[in-house]
Amino acid sequence: MTAAAGVSGYVQDKLSAPLTAVGGFFRMCVLTAKATTKLPFEWREFVIQAWFQFRVTFLPTIAVAIPDTVLIIFTINILLVEFGAADVSGAGAALAAVTQLGPIVTVLVVAGAGSTAICADLGARTIREEIDALEVLGIDPIHRLVLPRVVASTFVAVLLNGAVITIGLVGGFIFGIYGQNISAGAYVSTLTLVTGLPEVVISIIKALTFGLIAGLVGCYRGLTVSGGAKGLGTAVNETLVLSVVALFAVNVVLTTIGVRFGTGN
Amino acid sequence: MTSSTVLRSRYPRAYATVTKLAGTPNRFIDSVGQVAWFTVTAIGQIPHALRYYRRATLRLIAEIGMGTGAMAVAGGTIAIVGFVTLSGGSLIAIQGYASLGNIGVEAFTGFVAALVNVRVVAPLVSGHALAATVGAGATAELGAMRISEEIDALEVMGIKSISYLVSTRILAGMVVIVPLYAMSLLLSFLAAQLTTTVFYGQSTGTYDHYFRTFLRADDVFWSFVVAILIALFVMINHCYFGYNASGGPVGVGEAVGVSMRASLVAVAMLVLLSGLALYGTNPNFNLTV
Repeated sequence: MTAAAGVSGYVQDKLSAPLTAVGGFFRMCVLTAKATTKLPFEWREFVIQAWFQFRVTFLPTIAVAIPDTVLIIFTINILLVEFGAADVSGAGAALAAVTQLGPIVTVLVVAGAGSTAICADLGARTIREEIDALEVLGIDPIHRLVLPRVVASTFVAVLLNGAVITIGLVGGFIFGIYGQNISAGAYVSTLTLVTGLPEVVISIIKALTFGLIAGLVGCYRGLTVSGGAKGLGTAVNETLVLSVVALFAVNVVLTTIGVRFGTGN
Repeated sequence: MTSSTVLRSRYPRAYATVTKLAGTPNRFIDSVGQVAWFTVTAIGQIPHALRYYRRATLRLIAEIGMGTGAMAVAGGTIAIVGFVTLSGGSLIAIQGYASLGNIGVEAFTGFVAALVNVRVVAPLVSGHALAATVGAGATAELGAMRISEEIDALEVMGIKSISYLVSTRILAGMVVIVPLYAMSLLLSFLAAQLTTTVFYGQSTGTYDHYFRTFLRADDVFWSFVVAILIALFVMINHCYFGYNASGGPVGVGEAVGVSMRASLVAVAMLVLLSGLALYGTNPNFNLTV
């Protein structure tokens, strides 16, 4: 079309790329959901992918979780000491670790390490035209490659969330008791003061959702790579940006829902 | 024939494993040296870049601020970093209001928003967002240039490639972070205030009183210093992995992932260490005035 009607042509130009991306992503999500009903599930690929994801994300998780724990526990304890309520330090630590620290570190690591690794791996296959070859052979890449990766990403996110919470609670104990002179008995006995089963369930639901979204975004951008080295680099970058933005938004929504069902209300 | 030669030819696999393991510390020291050399060169050539590559620096500032092709889908670097800090700010208010309400002091939400936002959450969240957008973009770009041998071509043409590609990016990152961080700090304040006063219905007077009382100018100043340091770290780290990418298109994709993992850890460590250094011995605020 030759400069089709000024304004509408401009709008069309600006909107077509994002709308295509959103539509393609939605299509892939639906196809993945459909593939879950198709048996047999690719257990082998799932185990390999879960192990791969775990290997890629575990060290960064620990290396991010420890400083963040110390930082947050440190700030909370300063506040509590000023309030004169240092004996509920355990409650603060448990609340911070379970409701925010676990999910946020999981977000950062799953988006920053997990989904980028999925995207780089699938993108490399797309560039080498392995995906096209699979389709020619009559194998559905969504069922064979995407579904196991998405399930593995979800599974690993839940495990990582557990690891971060454990690091948070143990780190809070060590740092509070040896660093800020909090009583050990008071820390342990107040752990469950404002943090109960609802918080833990919401935390797990959050981690599940994050892993699912990160896996889907990584797979989508990996499968739609084009244009060689530059294209793959850009795709990984976009995966990172999209999943960070999406996961932060989802975290706000889930937290808002979560505090309604919290312990102590 | 010495005994070591005999052993080597008798057990080739074991020999390979042992040499690989024994070489690990060596390789580690080697890579640390390479990073240090790269950092020193890149920072040392900033005056050179300022003198000879002024236009390239200006172009990069515009590119980093607005975001190029890839990021335009989501609205540019500013929109992305702004959105992420906006969510961070509202998260503090949502969780803070609910948790403080549990012990009956929800009036202190303004205080938590002023203190925790400035000291911890804003630097952490905007640092990670910066790494994801600007940093990973730089890795992808430089990595693609390295793979398609454009960097070698630059060297052949007599252009100092580290100065032209890396020093200019570091400069641009340091320039962009100041307005960017100012905006994200404001957005996180705005989000916390809106959530508390509009959605939870706390009176604006209460919120403003506690917020203004505990928003200290020193804290904001140090927060900016930390943000600039984070930008410096992030740019050097991502440029290093991009500049040294190898192994074809796959290598570029992997370099972006590896650099992001390094940034995640570096940003968290940086915020922790600066937090302990600034507020470790003296928390610097008085609740009971």
